Amino acid sequence: MSDVRKNMDALRAIAESPRKQLDRVLAEGKKAVGVIPYFAPEELVYAAGMVPFGMWGAETQVSESKRYFPAFYCSIIHTALDLGIKGEYDGLSAVMIPLTCDTLKGMGANWRYGVKNIPVIDVAYAQNRTIPAGEEFTEGQFKKIRGQVEEIAGVKITDMALAKANKVYNENRKECLRFTELAASHPQTVSLTDRAMVLKARYFVERDAHTALIKELNDALEVLPEEKAKGSRIVTTGIIADSPELLGILQDNGFTIAADQITHESVDFRSLADETIDPVMALVKRLSGIKGTSVLFDPAKSRNTELAEIAKAAKADGVLWVLTKFCDPEEFDYVPAKKILDEAGIPMLQIEIDQQMVNYEQIRTAIETFKDML
Amino acid sequence: MADIYTLGMDLGSTTSKGVVLKNGKEVIGSSIIDAGAGTTGPQRAFEACLKDAGVDRSQISNITATGYGRNSFEPADLVISELSAHALGVHTMYPDARTLLDIGGQDSKVMSIGKNGRLDNFLMNDKCAAGTGRFLEVMAKVLEVGVADLKDLEAKAEQTVSVSSTCTVFAESEVISQLAKGADIPGLVRGICTSVAAKAASLVKRLGVEEPVYMTGGVARNTGVVKALERELGVKITVSQIQQLNGAFGAAVYGFGRVK
Repeated sequence: MSDVRKNMDALRAIAESPRKQLDRVLAEGKKAVGVIPYFAPEELVYAAGMVPFGMWGAETQVSESKRYFPAFYCSIIHTALDLGIKGEYDGLSAVMIPLTCDTLKGMGANWRYGVKNIPVIDVAYAQNRTIPAGEEFTEGQFKKIRGQVEEIAGVKITDMALAKANKVYNENRKECLRFTELAASHPQTVSLTDRAMVLKARYFVERDAHTALIKELNDALEVLPEEKAKGSRIVTTGIIADSPELLGILQDNGFTIAADQITHESVDFRSLADETIDPVMALVKRLSGIKGTSVLFDPAKSRNTELAEIAKAAKADGVLWVLTKFCDPEEFDYVPAKKILDEAGIPMLQIEIDQQMVNYEQIRTAIETFKDML
Repeated sequence: MADIYTLGMDLGSTTSKGVVLKNGKEVIGSSIIDAGAGTTGPQRAFEACLKDAGVDRSQISNITATGYGRNSFEPADLVISELSAHALGVHTMYPDARTLLDIGGQDSKVMSIGKNGRLDNFLMNDKCAAGTGRFLEVMAKVLEVGVADLKDLEAKAEQTVSVSSTCTVFAESEVISQLAKGADIPGLVRGICTSVAAKAASLVKRLGVEEPVYMTGGVARNTGVVKALERELGVKITVSQIQQLNGAFGAAVYGFGRVK
């Protein structure tokens, strides 16, 4: 038990101090590259001997970014740009900015204008990422990015180094997935905030270092007897759900996260890179295989049927749709998802959050009522 | 067997309400104080409710709090969310209710209620004053009338002066502009009521309308809004006899269920 707590505290400390982690990396003489969501090929950064640094915004009030983005805009992108302008990311050698959603399409130009000291690596994917022409386009982009990363690092990225990076990331993904299952079966030991912070920590340290810590945690958790959930089991879905206030409210009401379909969490680590093929193509194929997110184009909208399947497999009592405010792709997915879940008899609650929220009382009321409903 | 008294407190954002219930059925006392959570309203409503019922605090078997200020009301033995309280309240009084719309001072909520009284689904308004009692308060202030006067003014309307339902602040500017142009006041009030109804109706439509539809909350006292809602939804809406007290009533019923 003490090993579990010790490991969780170590990972929480990392998740709660991103700037400290960046300072440590820089003090060690390493270069770091910022990675804006979603699904940038950060394995290239790792393979070049640099440290990828996740940039999912922060729970903060924005001021400077409002010069570039309207108020009614995704808070993840708003806060990431705001922190960049305020110098919170100073020291990064570059920032990868994918063009995954409409909101991100303006980010590259605004970042170049507002944060002149951190150069941008644009990450373009084929919209139709799964068809051969789409994969060919994405492969071309990744090769171009490989060259840009090499220039920043001052080293060549060998195929062997990239293959090793893919292996390191796969190991991390497997341990993260294992952790979500162990957290669900040990709801008394692993609080919902613990769960979120353990997973979030991977964005701020070298992946192999995160793997070592989370593997030790998983091994310690695995020998503990399974624990009974105090209340209802839910599946969370959405872009990000790491707000301590939100998780605290869920915890207060006895909820256990039986599984998740959160882009910031499981969606990112459920898809593995194929270690038997060309390492760049492995990155492309991994991207093609990612499911369960609104921000990657999927003409079949399989995210919604998958959500019902995840809920059934996890024996969940309900689904919590954590809508990131002003996220159009999420809004569009909600309607068909609700229909599918209704047909499957799975209750769903939608709540709306952003990273500038200070008052969670309405959400508390909705969650308490959802608990009563379930 | 001795009588069982339970007390429900609904501590909203703008008003505090209390109900004393005898044996889970009979309302023997109630109070409505125009001061909400975070003020002296909750305590005053609590004392006024006991006084109205003619019972002493020591005779109350259970106090259940609901509403925005439920978690900070010290005398409470139990707390429940206002949605659960409203659903229970309306089901107890009107067992046939399938849809309930509650519009309070700060928020609006719509609930689907199953045949067994179970809350099947619900929606709350987003963080926006449009479609709530606050919208009416702001407009009444601009018109220099009391909120309670709006329904009488609306009854005199022979036309509707259109008012936006998107944003209270923008709508306030629109009303000021209309007044400057000399717009017909009753027509403007009908436009204001229609605006609240349009916003609230969109919430009801999102959840799905199943009749019979009931309405509670302070805004249910405004017949202009109720009529406009009926037009928007194309259904008859029955206003609960206990309107503003429904949440407190539901809390008292819940408390009775716990001590019975």
